[in-house]
Amino acid sequence: MTRPLRYLAAIVLLAGTLAGCGATSDHALNLTLSALATPRANSTPSPPTKKVNCRHATASLRPPAALPAPNALPAGSFMAQIRKRGYLIAGVNTGAYKFGSLNPTTGTIEGFEIDLVNEVAAAIFGNASGHVRYFALTVPQRFTAVEDGRVDIVADTITITCPRRALVDFSTVYYNATQRLLVPRGSGVKDIQALAHKRVCATASSTPIDVMKAMSAADRPVPVGMPQAIDCLVALQQGTGNIAAISTDSSILQGFQAQDPNNTEIVGPSLGSVPYGMAISKAHPDFVRFVNGVLARLEQDGTWQRLQAEWLGQFHQLEATPTPEYDG
Amino acid sequence: MWVDEDLTLEGLGTGVAPRTRRRRGLRIGAALAWVRDRLATTPGRLVLISILVVVGAVCFGAVAIGAEQSRERAAKAARNQTEPLLVQAKNLYTSLSDANATVATGLLSGGVETAANRNRYLGDLATAGGALSTLTREAGTAGNASSALGTIAEELPTYSGLIETARTNNRLGFPIGAAYVRAAAALMTSRMLPAAELLYRTEAQRLDDDYHTGSATSSLVTFAAASALTLILLLLAQWYVMRISRRILNVPMVVATVVVLGVSVWGIVGLVSAQNALETAHRNGSDSVEALSAATVLLSRAQGDLSLAIVNRGTDTADPNDFQVVRRVLERPGGVIAEISALARRTGTTAAAQNFDGEYATYQAKTHELTGLENSGQLTDAIRLAPQASAISEALSHNLAQQIDAAQGRFKRAAADATSATDGLAFAIPLITVLAAVLALLGLRQRINEYR
Repeated sequence: MTRPLRYLAAIVLLAGTLAGCGATSDHALNLTLSALATPRANSTPSPPTKKVNCRHATASLRPPAALPAPNALPAGSFMAQIRKRGYLIAGVNTGAYKFGSLNPTTGTIEGFEIDLVNEVAAAIFGNASGHVRYFALTVPQRFTAVEDGRVDIVADTITITCPRRALVDFSTVYYNATQRLLVPRGSGVKDIQALAHKRVCATASSTPIDVMKAMSAADRPVPVGMPQAIDCLVALQQGTGNIAAISTDSSILQGFQAQDPNNTEIVGPSLGSVPYGMAISKAHPDFVRFVNGVLARLEQDGTWQRLQAEWLGQFHQLEATPTPEYDG
Repeated sequence: MWVDEDLTLEGLGTGVAPRTRRRRGLRIGAALAWVRDRLATTPGRLVLISILVVVGAVCFGAVAIGAEQSRERAAKAARNQTEPLLVQAKNLYTSLSDANATVATGLLSGGVETAANRNRYLGDLATAGGALSTLTREAGTAGNASSALGTIAEELPTYSGLIETARTNNRLGFPIGAAYVRAAAALMTSRMLPAAELLYRTEAQRLDDDYHTGSATSSLVTFAAASALTLILLLLAQWYVMRISRRILNVPMVVATVVVLGVSVWGIVGLVSAQNALETAHRNGSDSVEALSAATVLLSRAQGDLSLAIVNRGTDTADPNDFQVVRRVLERPGGVIAEISALARRTGTTAAAQNFDGEYATYQAKTHELTGLENSGQLTDAIRLAPQASAISEALSHNLAQQIDAAQGRFKRAAADATSATDGLAFAIPLITVLAAVLALLGLRQRINEYR
């Protein structure tokens, strides 16, 4: 009896050992599956905006009586520092067609705003060529980049507002845009009243959304927020989201209309004025005055008008030359 | 076999228990009485032993074939179904991911992308389409997998439509082209790639299940225990026969014992070597396929992020953030690249892995240079550099594809060994079972006849 028992024990032991040495390991599988399941990163969140009041948002610092020549910049001034560095660092827009956009053919950033920045660089270096580095910035980055000194100046369709004035300094108004509506051509929509209860697209948590929300319940459109205004045009062209109109700055909408000229039109009166200013750090009032001097010169000698006609004349309704306002 | 038993018992003239149709209690009582009668005499005991041996042999046959078949089916499924489907799921996942990265890079570099770039994108779409139809045909029954396949099939035309619109706008020099690329990439990353990942995960887990079944210790233990019990039964029968007769050996019963022992040893050796081969297929084959596939997907995700970061510059920071996240997953200690190196050491294919490491270091340097330019406001220069990073990324995925092919070869060889190791057992086990039962009965019948 003991012999068979011993055999049994031996066989079971052998089987167990052999099975044990081949035990499967799922290490590679678990590692790769968890690596593949890595969730996509999100955008860096934007800081909340505080409610701030100011007397006269669009008034800026008075320029010097005579603008210094590039080779005679005041010693110790921020302009002299920039000149010493060899290039101006400018935050710009890359998606506003003809205003400030990345040309997909050449890979360069160009437009009306970009040329204004180039004029500022030319005033420091004599000419702008090779003396400007362009930063494409997100909406929240436009202010943080100025505050922490990563850029010297931002010209990126920034509307001058009181809360923003609390963060950065602004130049005088360099372009007076208005808030308008872009609708499909032939839709019959002539103004915002015709859009009551219809879906109107705009950049999420932007001024146009606030304007729509402030309308009376009977006239109010249904605001649809998208990450970017251009996403609204994609939705309109693709017929997704049942979008009846897009509301944003005229400068942007005219760029949209230029990219889809046969099928879209800009309609209705202005829904609000949108004054653009260049953002500069509060630490450099000398540079604010200098830029205001450059802008005043461009507006007086016809350069501003020439650049507007050159970049925007073909598509845009030309805006009047802005009148600079000074408060100190 | 039951017929054998009945015939044998008739032949012995002992008769079977009366087949009563009366109440069960009576039947059991009658059967017990019959067994008691048989236990009283030596020939009666021999008849009982005959029945036990036959039942034992049949049980051995059934259990052994069950254990063997569960493993053989799993090994065959791994070799012929689940692993090939995992490769298809991998093809779908990597080609969609690569298409997204390729198109972002292509549309970035000038208004019209290069022919090579365009062909790579179209090739990716063709691969994805092929894998999609194979998977739909072969694996499309499970609920989750089926809806994931449906999602990809639905969205693929929308995706390629958005890409073509982006191309058209890019050709016209319109910045809305970038918005279309962004919309397409969002569709890809939010809907299509998660569906492809689910499919890949499903197939990887099915293969893993096959590995577990194919190397389950329980099958081997069951087989060994069934063999041992049958052998013990045969030995006990012989011991009893030896005690009641003067003869030392009962030849037919010895032969029966030897053949059962033989098939048991064959079975255990076969099962163990099948298990070892399947382990090799797992450890040296599909583990590498999985890690290398993950690296391919993550690399194209990184390259897509890198290009989209430029496309979306000034609109979104998700892409550069994701680029850093993916790099960490690839590069961290114990991450995907470390796993590839470890697997290369295990499989003795360090040369290809070293080439990869060298190339990856170049990629790191190039992407570092690129993001540096981007972050210092030299966007135009960064855009000029982008095709170079893309070319290195393509070389990397080419290297990975070659390593995957090699790993696939290792898998196929080992899986073929795993399925052939148990060849013949499915036929031999029932045959030997019958043979052993017949031989044992013959041997016992000689003894029973002596009491006539």
